[in-house]
Amino acid sequence: MDGARPEGAHEPAVARVVRLGGDDRSSQRVRIVDAALRCIGAQGLQKTTADDIAREAGISRATLYRTFPGGKDAVLAGVVETEVARFFSALAVTMGEADDLEDVLVAGMVEAAARLRSHEPLARLLADEPGVVLARLSFAKLDGLLRVASDFAAPFFARWLGPDEASRAAEWAVRIVISYLLSPSQGFDLADAGQTRRLVATFVLPGVVALGALGDPAP
Amino acid sequence: MPGGRDASSVAGEEARAVHAEAMSERILEATFACVDRWGIAKTTVEDAAREAGVSRATLYRYFPGGRDELIAAVVGFEFARFFDRLYDEVRDAASLEEVLERGIGFAHQAVVGHAVLQRILATEPELLEPTLTIEGSQILGAIAEFLVPYLERHELAPGVDVAEAADFLARMALSHITSPGRWDLADPAQLARLVRVELLAGIAPAPVR
Repeated sequence: MDGARPEGAHEPAVARVVRLGGDDRSSQRVRIVDAALRCIGAQGLQKTTADDIAREAGISRATLYRTFPGGKDAVLAGVVETEVARFFSALAVTMGEADDLEDVLVAGMVEAAARLRSHEPLARLLADEPGVVLARLSFAKLDGLLRVASDFAAPFFARWLGPDEASRAAEWAVRIVISYLLSPSQGFDLADAGQTRRLVATFVLPGVVALGALGDPAP
Repeated sequence: MPGGRDASSVAGEEARAVHAEAMSERILEATFACVDRWGIAKTTVEDAAREAGVSRATLYRYFPGGRDELIAAVVGFEFARFFDRLYDEVRDAASLEEVLERGIGFAHQAVVGHAVLQRILATEPELLEPTLTIEGSQILGAIAEFLVPYLERHELAPGVDVAEAADFLARMALSHITSPGRWDLADPAQLARLVRVELLAGIAPAPVR
């Protein structure tokens, strides 16, 4: 799978997750999760069975069920959890290096957009089984995701903003990334740093600054 | 008399067109009632035909694609109804700020209060979402187009392109309408802060007082 990824995108994150867990059990989980990702990339979600995942991981069906007693659904929950952890850890590195508020917005949005776009299993699902993804990225499900993602991102903004503004700015950035992922625009490609900088400078940064300067923080 | 025959055949065509529209609307209303009762997955062409009081063959004459076409058409029909109401709600708004505040506030309440939509989102979102995405890209265009004249009448920040600003505002309006996140859109003060302070700061900043 790593060979199919764009230049070195995920390799360090895999190592990190394995090291974090350390014991055999967590490395077994990662092995199964990565096998599931390859299966989804190759044949989609619906056609992927627990047997396919076990075969791809080179383990027995019994071992898979011992690691994930819930079978396919439990593996999928593990896939989401692992990919989100990998995504956030990569994003943390990029955003932590930013020098000012505009940079942290641009760096976070570009990194997020580029990673989401080059994620092959996700692209496959969006193309062939969009309902599965979209059902998790809209309405109340998006509210939940906005909360998790902005709780993650807010501390990076808190160097320049108060806590309320940092959370709102982070939530706003996440909305923008998801909107342009699901409905690509002619004018702004968020994986492109120059175009994203123009979008941020024109539409976002003045709003973020105004929130801090003019807004009444919620009581 | 050739003239007379032409006139009557034109009238006949019009009558047929009106009849066709009324018939497809009747079928869509019936399908909506079935979806309300049983959900998307369990609604069949037979159910919709029976509910509408037409034969299966008649239904297929109006919706040759069968069930899939019918479900997509119901979603489109409901969207059109929603946009008619939204348009009525905002068409007398005097300013860009007002049209966004009233539009986002009204549309959010309509989404929250739409019992059928909420039930489907809770029970079978995978079946609805693909249709919503197709509608979604058209919706973005429609909202942006609606906002253009308001942007053209407003004094904009230097360097802001009207079409780009309209597209960005449409995206943000739609995102907040469906998923308000931290914002309580039922609170007029928060709605005003979202629109006037956050969304419009870069596009049409409020005059300094």
